[in-house]
Amino acid sequence: MTETIIKLQLNQQQLELLDRTIAQGVAADREALVRLALREYAAARKTASVAETAR
Amino acid sequence: MTSRQVISEFVIEPGAGKAIELLKGQILRIEQVEGGQCADFNCFNLHDYKEFMHCGRTRTVHGFHPTTGTFMWSAPPRERAMLYILEDTVGRNDVLFPRCSAYVYEAAYGFAVHTNCHDIQAEAQREYGLTPDDVHDSFNLFMCTGVDEDGHAFMTRQTSKPGDYVDLLALMDVLAVPNVCGADVMKTSNFALKPLKLTVSAASDVDHAKVPSVPILASQRTPKDFRNPIIKTDRPLRRDPAYKAEFPNTPIVITELPIRLTPEEVAMFNAVKRTDIYGDDDAAALRDLLFSWWEERFLQAHAGAPAIGNP
Repeated sequence: MTETIIKLQLNQQQLELLDRTIAQGVAADREALVRLALREYAAARKTASVAETAR
Repeated sequence: MTSRQVISEFVIEPGAGKAIELLKGQILRIEQVEGGQCADFNCFNLHDYKEFMHCGRTRTVHGFHPTTGTFMWSAPPRERAMLYILEDTVGRNDVLFPRCSAYVYEAAYGFAVHTNCHDIQAEAQREYGLTPDDVHDSFNLFMCTGVDEDGHAFMTRQTSKPGDYVDLLALMDVLAVPNVCGADVMKTSNFALKPLKLTVSAASDVDHAKVPSVPILASQRTPKDFRNPIIKTDRPLRRDPAYKAEFPNTPIVITELPIRLTPEEVAMFNAVKRTDIYGDDDAAALRDLLFSWWEERFLQAHAGAPAIGNP
């Protein structure tokens, strides 16, 4: 399976927020958190788009 | 205390204001006598005038028209709830407009002298040793305002009637300074100046029970936390040769975080990424997505607002 790598540029404050979120048990590590964010963000917009189409 | 107990009463006449020591647990009622009168309002920590009510902070937390159930906040770095709006029988106040000033009436109307909220506030505050430079942006009670489609603030006539009032509960000892707005050639007070009645009461247990809890945080700093806690007493500004910058969290350091995406995830990303803002910069678009998601999932109030509890 071909992977695409995107190199996020984050400062120490942004990383602190990610790490505190991870410490709450939301994701296993930074990369997992970003991938979770992508899936949830995309799913929310897909749902919203479907609802808009159905109106 | 089972019921409110009146401590003092005043009437402020057109063109005037009154500085009132309002202690923690006391209520200031600002009441219409004839109706249709705007009241401008300043507020200072009674024991440290450098802490004062901040309209910017207040409108960020509560919107442009704070009313019953909202707080008046002090400016950063204090950012404390100073007063709580217990009751508001009209529900239309303003934190968009600045106080009117002598300059406004000279520039727009040609008056050499005219009643204006800045000078009325300054004169009322002088009783406590403050200067015209200490007057701050006013919380404008009963003032009916909005924002037009072009983004300009506007004011219009108000609908308050005799007996309408706003009750402000002090959450700390404050100097509360209401004044009769000086605008008689604008719609603010329906083109007339009328008196306002002020009543100070001791709050009842029922009043206290209505106040929601607000978070107390380490970032709410006071002079004991300042690198320079000394109030400057002369007017010219001179460079401190011993100054050494100590900005927090500096230097800002960038770390690269590689994220491996499957073809399915890439498809998801391509469907939602903000190319309108970031073009082909996928790293910037993914960072935007990450923190946008975080806001949606974890922020409990409007951006910049604390999570305020229930009574």
